[in-house]
Amino acid sequence: MAPTDTVYGLLVDATNEEAVKKLIAFKNRPWGKPISIFVNNELLKKNVIASESAGTLLKELLPGPFTIILPSKYAVSHLLESERGTLGIRIPQYRFINELVEAFGKPITATSANLSGRPPHYRPETLLSELPKAKKTLIDLFIDGGTLPRNKPSSIVDLTGDTIKLLRKGDIMFTSAKTYISHAPLDTRKLAQHLCSKISHVVDGQPLVFILEGELGTGKTEFVKGAGEYFGIRDIISPTYVVYYEYKWGKNANNRFIHADLYNIQEADEFKHLGLEEYLKPHCVIFIEWGNRAGDMIHTFKKSARIVRVKLKHKTEHEREISVEQ
Amino acid sequence: MTKPEPYIFSIDTSADETSAAVTQGRKILSYLNYTQIQSHKEWGGIVPSIAKRAHEERIDWVIEETLRKFQNTVGTGLKPVPTKYIDYIAVTYGPGLAVALEVGIRKAKELAKKYNKPIIPINHLEGHIYSSFVQNSKGNPKRDFEFPYVGLLVSGGHTELVLFENHGSFTFLGETLDDAAGEAIDKAARLMGLGYPGGPVMERLAHEVDNIDLYKFPRPLHASKKIEFSFSGLKTAFLYFTQKLTSEEKIKNIRELASSFQEAVTDSLTNKTELAIKITGVSHLIVGGGVSANKHLRSKLRTLVKKYNGSVHFPTYTYLTGDNAAMVGVAAFYNQKRAVTGDKRDLIERIPRLRLV
Repeated sequence: MAPTDTVYGLLVDATNEEAVKKLIAFKNRPWGKPISIFVNNELLKKNVIASESAGTLLKELLPGPFTIILPSKYAVSHLLESERGTLGIRIPQYRFINELVEAFGKPITATSANLSGRPPHYRPETLLSELPKAKKTLIDLFIDGGTLPRNKPSSIVDLTGDTIKLLRKGDIMFTSAKTYISHAPLDTRKLAQHLCSKISHVVDGQPLVFILEGELGTGKTEFVKGAGEYFGIRDIISPTYVVYYEYKWGKNANNRFIHADLYNIQEADEFKHLGLEEYLKPHCVIFIEWGNRAGDMIHTFKKSARIVRVKLKHKTEHEREISVEQ
Repeated sequence: MTKPEPYIFSIDTSADETSAAVTQGRKILSYLNYTQIQSHKEWGGIVPSIAKRAHEERIDWVIEETLRKFQNTVGTGLKPVPTKYIDYIAVTYGPGLAVALEVGIRKAKELAKKYNKPIIPINHLEGHIYSSFVQNSKGNPKRDFEFPYVGLLVSGGHTELVLFENHGSFTFLGETLDDAAGEAIDKAARLMGLGYPGGPVMERLAHEVDNIDLYKFPRPLHASKKIEFSFSGLKTAFLYFTQKLTSEEKIKNIRELASSFQEAVTDSLTNKTELAIKITGVSHLIVGGGVSANKHLRSKLRTLVKKYNGSVHFPTYTYLTGDNAAMVGVAAFYNQKRAVTGDKRDLIERIPRLRLV
């Protein structure tokens, strides 16, 4: 029993039939209900069949809070597969699980540590108090990761058919590889974290620039707050009044996080006077709200920086469509 | 006889005001503020390049005039070189607009070098705190410090609560999670087509309908037991509400819209200030920043402190609610130990996202 990127999970060797049986007995889970597995890129190829189009989407989504359902290659215990012969795989953005899979060299089950039909657990105390003694004795090792952030269980995405099917809604929802749906500010923040986790490595070699476009109230600042959390910055506030704020992050003294807001900029020329070019160097992440007002400066940015364009739209009063172009 | 208090020459260029002052203790001896609001009006907010250029164009004149007025105030004894009598140069180094802060800091360094004076770098927010204690040249008002205070800083760029325990000693209580109160007001004003800055117009319109809260816009985080503000959700709710109205309806109900919005903002401010009073047990309040000019907010805060047998102080003169150098000079007086001399002066840098605590 161990912490994962979402909730506390039950981890067994997915290739060991006996272990899987024990897991199913523990969960009181009906037979035939599939259980997903944690893998790495190498194990993913060995365990499921991904078409070219599915492969493209996998690159966008993983690692991340998603369970992807694909046709199984029957390399793990058949008890984990569905009756259709499909298998759910997960590559989380979570160091502990990733390193465990790497060291173990085999897939590990990725099911939540609650009994079937009960809500998932974020705190070890509540988890343990819910379990009858007989169940507790089935646990061979409990890893106490403290209270976990209240992330929802992963979104379950079925890629076995011609169209993408969303079977369970987690924190991050999408309609295509590039278009996400947010139902609340928290969803927008989670999405930003997910995107940052996938691209932040480029800052070692070049600046990373997020251009955010969207009307008032679409969640641009929320997006930047989410990204800030990824970089360990928790005090982000709207820079509208002063146009931009600079934050430091991480251990490297050159690391900078720039949060600019061009709301008050009416002419692209204005943007030139901000001096943002000085941040166009490695270890700098720049977020520009109302980035469409940056005009020609975008070309200057493109020369050296990695650009991610994020467009946020009102769908309904509480729903936003967020499209991402890299 | 006690030693006379030092003369402090101060500069503030944190946003859209080019401001300089000479203060002695808490007294303003000379003060000049050149406001750029006219230049920014047509844009609906501060525009960096205009701000920078305007500061650069005006700062020498503002400084000269301030020194000339200082000479006149203090009398013939100081002629012919007023700079000779200045003991310190104080300057705002943050928070604020980076390119604007830079102009003031560069000028302070230049003057400090030329006349061989120490520089006292000052946090703009600390200045706002002291604006409730600034006196005119006659030493009025006489109000004394009665520490500790809960300080509410509320402007276009800031909304936060701090505990002001003593000179130079602050504890952070909480701040906005997203937009500042003044920013929310400006954005709502723009949605109503009221222009920039939005506060004064909104206040007037609200007053015309007796501050009625007709539309009951949301008060984000109202029930939260934490000291934290949020105005972004209110802004979005207001946006959706006004989008559903026709332009005729908007115009017809403009007073009620302005009033209900202002009510939601001032309600949030008062609510969290009350929470800060409850948590800290401190019922003496000081309020600073542009939004502290709002009379409706003032009246609500007065009612609030009465409930706790406390007191509330606002900037002593209306012109001190906005950004100004006088408050920076007074803050510097109480923080002389921060004075920087010699080559170390060159190390003073702007910090646009400077925190008070």
